[in-house]
Amino acid sequence: MKTLFKLTVVCMIAVAVLAACRSRTISPSEVVAVTGQTITDDPAAGVWWGLPYHPAKLILQDLVEPRLMEPSTQEVEVTAMTDGKTVAFRLEWIDDSQDDLPGPQKFIDGCAVQLPQKMETNVPAPQMGEDAKTVEIAYWRADWQAIVDGRVDEITSLYPNASVDHYPFRAESLKKDPKAQGEMEQRYAPARRLGNSRSGPRKQPVEDMLAEGPGTLTRTNAVSRGRGVKTPKGWAVVIIRPLPEGISVQKGTNIAFAVWQGARRETGARKMRTGWIPLILKEPGK
Amino acid sequence: MARVNNWQLGREMSYWYPESRPDKQFAAVFDINKCIACQTCTLACKTTWTSGKGQEYMLWNNVETKPYGFYPLGWDLKLLEMLDGQKWDQSGEKPVYGGSTIFESAPAGERVLGWRPEEEDYAYPNVGEDDCAGQIDGGTSFQMPHMAWFYYLARICNHCTYPACLAACPRGSIYKRPEDGIVLVDQGRCRGYQECVRGCPYKKVFFNPMSGTSEKCIACYPKMEQGLQPQCFVNCIGKIRMAGWISKPEEAREDNPIDYLVHVRKIALPLFPQFGLEPNVYYIPPIHVPTSFTRQMFGPGVDDAIAAYKKAMSEGDDDLAGLLGLFGSTEEVMSRWTRNGETITGFNDKGEEAVRVPLREPVNIRPAYDKLYQITRVNCP
Repeated sequence: MKTLFKLTVVCMIAVAVLAACRSRTISPSEVVAVTGQTITDDPAAGVWWGLPYHPAKLILQDLVEPRLMEPSTQEVEVTAMTDGKTVAFRLEWIDDSQDDLPGPQKFIDGCAVQLPQKMETNVPAPQMGEDAKTVEIAYWRADWQAIVDGRVDEITSLYPNASVDHYPFRAESLKKDPKAQGEMEQRYAPARRLGNSRSGPRKQPVEDMLAEGPGTLTRTNAVSRGRGVKTPKGWAVVIIRPLPEGISVQKGTNIAFAVWQGARRETGARKMRTGWIPLILKEPGK
Repeated sequence: MARVNNWQLGREMSYWYPESRPDKQFAAVFDINKCIACQTCTLACKTTWTSGKGQEYMLWNNVETKPYGFYPLGWDLKLLEMLDGQKWDQSGEKPVYGGSTIFESAPAGERVLGWRPEEEDYAYPNVGEDDCAGQIDGGTSFQMPHMAWFYYLARICNHCTYPACLAACPRGSIYKRPEDGIVLVDQGRCRGYQECVRGCPYKKVFFNPMSGTSEKCIACYPKMEQGLQPQCFVNCIGKIRMAGWISKPEEAREDNPIDYLVHVRKIALPLFPQFGLEPNVYYIPPIHVPTSFTRQMFGPGVDDAIAAYKKAMSEGDDDLAGLLGLFGSTEEVMSRWTRNGETITGFNDKGEEAVRVPLREPVNIRPAYDKLYQITRVNCP
């Protein structure tokens, strides 16, 4: 009897999801951020299914070396909402493997959202902007998500069978002095000591950056947040950032996306990306 | 790409950036014939710099047995297979490299011809240790060169004049210091793309999975700034290493120890010059190894280098023999040296005397029977 009940519930959920999928509207030429929404960072939240999605075609980054020579991810499905202050983008793409463990010759799944810093008629180059035409980038990575979700900052998190003879900062003489211990640990972690945002424990899986062309990425004040989950087919990631200044229902801007598949050894400039896509705000039901 | 002069190739070559040589260039000479692979250098480096999380597998300095030792696995063979040609034209006064460098062979979409080791390639740091190049049967007697051989190759970052790691980094996170030519990864800027790991043919840049950045040998620059040689040099038990400064060939000074060994006497040779990086660690090649092997590794100057090295002892080449005696004699960097009769003197960067060594170490032969203590001793040379 219990089994029958469970089966019924599962069927009902499946029917509901299918019905929701069928009712989803496609926005073929622009990303639509629906206004008046309560922002969520949950990629699995039901609210997303009622919003129009844009299937953004991805192309190779083949303008600057190192280039990506073979295409991988074909498309990223983008849904967006706004509460008038922030805007949330839900990105979903197909990826067979979960690549969130860093290591030599191991790369990380990730995605990024890019917007022009200023709403101008002449938009910056879609490839990371250009001189004096800055773009803002919010970048999500699967390994950062794993850290936020509780991965411990130890080598055994990456290599469970790793055996370490000795770390100087774990010496008996330092155990009573956590401050001295921390300082000693940083002596062997210069990137952390310098505050490199790539490095170390973190509270957000998303990083905010500015760029004025390829190779110019610079960290900026953290204003974005997000959350990503592995789905049976790939990744679903929500990136929430401030609504671009000057955007309104009457006046849109542009947006671009990039996706990295770790298993394909995509990293940095080796990525699949879009050109600029119009981003507009729309009231619900319109 | 720019056109730059690479004196080790005897010609110009293509490089990602224009030629920009530092005010001084860090350089080193390693005498392979004296290395016993005790790995003291490896541990000196390890304990000084790479004892942190994510650095467990890193060996900025390593010593491997050639021909079957590698760290990481197959680091040299893999690229040698990828690099076509590698022929030297020796018809003129100086040898000229006729093949392509890794910059000139860069495939479409890449900055350099490179490859990235797999994780497993780092799992065997001393694979091939003491493995001989051939079978040694009973009754075999050795001649020179040995028909069955191996030798120890100590390796650090070459702090190249044309670093491939620097050329490969798409965001300019690697730089060559203008004051001393030391090549560093900016740990504040690196984003861990591992393009430098792919680009460096010597595989001397390592990705740190805990910091998310790439790290490499820094030539102990805090010591070099104080006029002191790096840790792996001063801890070397075999006294095989000397650190200093190298000039361009046309500006070579006979009283500069590195210039004398590299440019004047030409007994110290670069590691795989055909890659095109103008590496600045120079090796006195092993004298017992068939030069068909070492010529590929150190270039066409191997035969002459070995001949000159052997003569230093056998035919009373006091200058060369004396300078070799300065290896491992002081912690200070010697930028000048002199020989006055039987005395060799090294001077530091300030021109002050750093060390004085005899041309020949005094030899005392004790009688086997010690009358004082009424015992017989075994004399070991």
